[in-house]
This record gives sequence, C-alpha cells and structure tokens, in this order.
Amino acid sequence: MSTVALTGGGRRARPLLSLRTRKLLTGYAYLVPAAVCLLATVAVPIGKAIQLSLYNDVLYKPQDYHFVGLANYLRLAGDPVFWLTLWNSFIWVFGSVVLQFVVGFATALLLHQAFRGRAVIRTVMLLPWIIPGVVVGLIWEWLYQPNYGVINDLLINAGWLHDRVAWLSNPDLAMAAVIFTNVWRGIPFFAIMLLAGLQAVPGELYEAARIDGAGVLDRFWHVTLPLMRPIIVVATATRIIWTFNYADLIFVMTSGGPANATQITSTYTLLQAYSNLDFGYAAALSVVLLLIMLAFTAAYLRVTKGVEEA
Amino acid sequence: MRRRRRSASLSERLLGGPVLWIGLVGLTAFALGPFVWMLLTSLKNRQELYATPLQYLPRHVTFENYVDAWTSPITPFSRFFLNSLWVCSVTMIATTVVSVLAGYAIARFRFAGRDTLLLIFLATQMFPSVLLIAPLLTQWRALGLIDTYQALIYSNFSFTVPFTVWMMVGYFSSIPRELEESAMIDGCSQFGSLCRVVLPLAAPGIAATAIFAFVVSWSELLFAISFTTQTNMRTLSAGLLYMVGQYEVQWGPLSAGVIMSTIPVAVLFTFLQRHLIHGLTAGAVKG
Repeated sequence: MSTVALTGGGRRARPLLSLRTRKLLTGYAYLVPAAVCLLATVAVPIGKAIQLSLYNDVLYKPQDYHFVGLANYLRLAGDPVFWLTLWNSFIWVFGSVVLQFVVGFATALLLHQAFRGRAVIRTVMLLPWIIPGVVVGLIWEWLYQPNYGVINDLLINAGWLHDRVAWLSNPDLAMAAVIFTNVWRGIPFFAIMLLAGLQAVPGELYEAARIDGAGVLDRFWHVTLPLMRPIIVVATATRIIWTFNYADLIFVMTSGGPANATQITSTYTLLQAYSNLDFGYAAALSVVLLLIMLAFTAAYLRVTKGVEEA
Repeated sequence: MRRRRRSASLSERLLGGPVLWIGLVGLTAFALGPFVWMLLTSLKNRQELYATPLQYLPRHVTFENYVDAWTSPITPFSRFFLNSLWVCSVTMIATTVVSVLAGYAIARFRFAGRDTLLLIFLATQMFPSVLLIAPLLTQWRALGLIDTYQALIYSNFSFTVPFTVWMMVGYFSSIPRELEESAMIDGCSQFGSLCRVVLPLAAPGIAATAIFAFVVSWSELLFAISFTTQTNMRTLSAGLLYMVGQYEVQWGPLSAGVIMSTIPVAVLFTFLQRHLIHGLTAGAVKG
C-alpha cells in the first residue's frame, strides 16, 4: 500500500487507481510462468492421481481398464503389507529424525565455537547432505557389504563381532542399517539449521546468565533451548515430512526387502507403480500418503503459528 | 564472532578444549570416512579390491576403474554425465527465470490471495514425489515425451520451482523498496527497475537459487528411472542404479562413477555454501 501512495505522490498526473491496477496486472503477469509450471507438473497430476485411484489401471493389461470406485482403497485397507509399511514408516521417520537431531545439535554446538579452519570443517561436514541419494545408497551398500565391506572388517578387528554380518539382507538388522545411513546423510541439515539458530541468540543473554551464576548446562537449558524453540520446531517438522516422503535411499539399498522389513509406505507406492505397473493401486496409496502429509502439515502450520506469535 | 572467554570455569575450559577437538575430529571422520573409503576403492585394481583379508590402501594406484566407467559401451557413464549436465542446466536456467519473476511479484505486489499463494508454494514442497510418478508418466506418454529431456526437465520443475520461489521471496524482501522507488521516480519502468536495481542487488541470492536448483536436479532419481527407458537417456542417478543392475555389481567402476558424480555438486556447493545456507535458513530464523 505504501508503495502505491509514494509513487503516486511522485507522479500526480496519473490517476491513482489505474497505476494501481497496472501494477497489479504486472504482478499477476510475473506469476504466470510459475503458475503454469506448477499447474502442469503438480496440480494436474494430483488431480490425475485421484482419478487414477478410482480405476483399475494396470499398465500391461489395458483391456482391464475400468472404473472401480473405491475398490483400490478397500484393497488397501485389507492389505497387511500396507499396514506394515505404515508402521515401518513410523520407525524410519522416528529413528532417523531423533538421531539426526541429537547428533546435528551436537555438531551445531561444536561449529558455533570459534576455532581455526572452521569454514573448511563446516564445508566438509555438509558433504553427505548434498550428494545424490543414489550415491549415498551405493556408498553404504559397499560399506555394509558382508565379505568386502569395511564395517564388518573394522568391527571384527576391534573384537566386537565374531562373524561377518549381512547387514542389509538380515530382516532384523536391515531397518537399523538404512536408518543409520539416513542419519549420516541428514545430520548436516540439522547442523546448518540449528547453527543458524544458535548464531541468532544474542550474546548478552549468555553474559547476563553467567553473571547470575548460571553454569554451562543451566545456560543451555534456560537460555539456548527456549530461544531456539521456533527453529527446532520448523527444522524437525520439515525433516519429518521429508523423511516420510523420501523413497530413494531405501529403494536403492534394499528395495524394501528383505521380506518387506524396510518397506515404508513411499517405497511401497513406488514399487507398485514402477515394478508392478499397477497405477490404480499406486495412485490410491499415494493419495493416502498425501492425506497423511496434509494432516501433518496442517498441524505443523498451526503449531508454528503459535510459536511465532508467542 | 565475539568471544567471551574471561574467567572461564573448568567445565567451560573442558568444553572449549578437549571436548571440542575430540568431537570435531570424530564428526569429521564420520562425515568423510565413507567418501575416503569409496575413493580408495576406486583406485584399487580387481585383486586388491576383493583381497582377503581386506586391503585398506591401494598398493598400485590405478585409474583403470575411471577409464572403464567412462568408456564402457554397456553403461556409458560419459553419456549419463552429459545427460545430467544438460537436464540440470536447463532446469536451473528455467527455474531461475521463473522464480525470479514470481518471487519478485510476491515480494513486491500486494495482491489478493498473496498469503494463500505463499502457503501453496510451501505446501507443494511437502508432497511426496512418488505421488507424481504414475500421473506424470501417463501425462508424458500421452504427449509422446517418454525418453526425452523435456519430460525430465518439466518434471524437475515440480520440486525446484516451489522452493526457489520461496527463496527468492526472501531475497527480494530484504532489498529496500526505496531504491526501486527512487529509480522509478527517475523514470524507470517497473520492469526497468527490476532489471537495473533489484537484480544486481539480489545477484548472490539468485546465484544460490540457481545452484540449488542444479544440485537437487542432479540428485533426482525417481523421475529419471520412470520416464526414460533407453540406456542413452539415463541421467547420472538413474545410470548408477542401472550399473548396479547390469554388472553383477562391479564395485571398481561403480565406485569410480560414485566419485565422479559427487565432484560437480561438491565443488558447486563449496563455492556457494554461504549464500545457500543463508537462503535455506532465512525463512526459519526470525530476526
């Protein structure tokens, strides 16, 4: 509003309203390319996904293509693997995010200190986060490799293991192994976000707390944590959503196996579409995924709003 | 950075000294170790790679794995690399143009539905990409775009644009309006003031946005494996996965491929990390 008033003051010859309308039209014009991109690659496909979920659409059986109503959703409700994947998704998200947060916070606290070579160390520590998911998956597949993997070798040399372990093909260990890989990858995200939060805490507050006799731990609990609450909420929520949706790593490392031990809902959806070519069922699964995410996002927006206003 | 090191207590000296250094060494080793192991692997010949007991350092450093991966006729890594380079560059340029315009509009014009629009851009980032695979595949098939660069580039917009618009809004909002207003009073048009005043000031942010779009496209896997069927059209991510399926996992060339895929994004990121980090955290940290 103030822009209009100011520029309007500069050019008194033109009527205020037309300038304003013109500005509005320019604004809308600038938005057109982005709107077209998102319509064509997000909005229309989501509509299409909802439509697909109501059809029997298996790519290699085009003659069976017909409207089935909610049959795909009923099949989903009765599919024990689907319910297993929901539980696996919970473990995957919970395990990944908690560990990433704890180690990421520790990293942020260390990087917040002033020491020589800090810029270099910071760049190095961020590396796992920016490389492609396939690359992360392959690197760790090689580290976990039963016979030639360095992890088995180190653990046996250290005396912590007696026999070689097939980390990714043992149903009891596979989930822990992929979560550990995901933690390795995600630590830098929390480190960056929380470091930014730490740097925004005014130094005077620590000084004041110190003068009042607060120790290191007291200052952490009563100064650092409360002030960082907004960024902690934002970072954690973003990470939960992202991890829940993320399929690449598990797809590359185990494809959800062995025996669905690492099958999360997003990889299950991917397999239905990519391997089974069952688009109707995949679409129904993805619509359910979307609904879960929307519910979570709505709750998250409500919480962050509360945090910002506080 | 101001340091506050007067009259440090014992616990503070411990935290600042040994704990700091042990933590840093440990975390750096953890972050870098897997890369180092992959690099060592890629420099070993076949005997050394599959030696029992494990041989940690290559005795005869060889680059044959790199040559093999790069020139292999079955899994042409050089072709994958060029495919990725092209797809990511076009995605980057198009995304940047689109998000500069949209970001500027959202940051500068107060129109109805502005907040809703921002919310839509935010929410779009939270959609699972597996949701888009079946419908986009149907869409690209109908348009005859399977096995084309266009299909990959357009699909990339679905995740680059929402985020880069969000980043650009942040950068443009931090540029004082008065600068543009005085340019406009001096006779610049709205578009003229965008080009002559705002863009130069926002250049670091725009560069960071562009790099971001490049790096996330470089990592993209699911669209690449779904919308291409020919080996020649695979991008790096899809190609690496294809190498796993082709060879009975030949870790020599594969590790070379992994290292070669990492280098470009690592270099880009090192140059621009400061701006990127600023952009990523700007929305999350309040003043």
